[in-house]
Amino acid sequence: MPGTYLDALPLEQRLAFLEEQTAEFARTIAELRNQDALKTQFLANISHDLRTPLSAIVTHAEVLREGILGPLDDRQRDSITGIINGGRQLLAMVDEILTYARGAANRLALQTSAFAVDALVRDVCAMSAPLIAKRRHALDLDITENLPPVQADREKVAHVLGNLLGNAIDFTPPGGRVWVAARHGAPSPAGPTVEIEVGDTGIGIAPEHHDLVFREFAQVDASASRRHHGTGLGLAIARKFVELHGGRVWLKSRLGEGSRFYFTIPVRPKS
Amino acid sequence: METHVLLVEDSALVVGALRILLEETGHRVSAAATVSDAVAAARREHPDVILLDITLNREDGLSVLTELARTGDFPRVVVAVTGHDDHALKERCLAAGCREVMLKPISAMELPARIRQWLAE
Repeated sequence: MPGTYLDALPLEQRLAFLEEQTAEFARTIAELRNQDALKTQFLANISHDLRTPLSAIVTHAEVLREGILGPLDDRQRDSITGIINGGRQLLAMVDEILTYARGAANRLALQTSAFAVDALVRDVCAMSAPLIAKRRHALDLDITENLPPVQADREKVAHVLGNLLGNAIDFTPPGGRVWVAARHGAPSPAGPTVEIEVGDTGIGIAPEHHDLVFREFAQVDASASRRHHGTGLGLAIARKFVELHGGRVWLKSRLGEGSRFYFTIPVRPKS
Repeated sequence: METHVLLVEDSALVVGALRILLEETGHRVSAAATVSDAVAAARREHPDVILLDITLNREDGLSVLTELARTGDFPRVVVAVTGHDDHALKERCLAAGCREVMLKPISAMELPARIRQWLAE
């Protein structure tokens, strides 16, 4: 037993031994933190550097597709459109990694302004309309009237909603139902909140995986993640953005019974 | 007279793509990859438009504008180009005199029309 050897020593020696051990642990922790910070910095740098050649590829392909260098036939245009779409998808993933890395390094700041939740929900839904139509989903909106304007970072709240809505669309088989609701939320330590719900009739998530989905690099089902071409960072970023505001994010779901994701945003920022 | 665009950009790949786009749509293009080259080119050539990448290799692209403003060589239109959407950065660009901030990759469909629009304003 580990205790036996220590117990046999005089008290002073036992204390000295424990102090040495504690110092050793502290050194290890500091070293690991340092390594983690270096890797985060590497992630931020590499994503930034990946963006430049990717941008050049997309611009070159767009020049070709626009016929600026001469006319194209349909097959050539389709092929070039494939390059552009692939490039833009890669850029979106690189951006997600960059956002995550900046969040992990606590380099994300909130730019708050007052805005109406109603308009925000409608804007985000309008942006997702082409995808919803493509997958033949029905989209329902249920927004409580006279919600107070919130003082928050509009871009980040839109990002969270866009991410949840994107997941709902992706993880629901074609012809499903997706909905967004906004209502008064439970008060937080920062005061009153607005709660936004994004629901779907999709594949659902087993209860034992509910915590996992918010963790970075987590993939509940690796094959699903590959099919839905994510970085595995979307929900981790969403949680980070919500928590930066002093809100919280959670879900209700069972396998095969669809998912409902909820998040709250305090009406006024936490001081 | 054809519109002259100065590209301030440290990636030869991006310059290559934008040069084809702009030259093929009737613009004259020159390029600079460092702050000092950009300042010298702007003073020598008086471009109509500067597309300014604000993260040049270890240099702050906006310092090109500080230097040009100092000697009264500020061009008609400066548009900042950046890789990431950052509110604070955007504010800094506008405060430095940029007409607007464009995100990479610059859309080939939009750029020629936008240049016409900026110069018409």
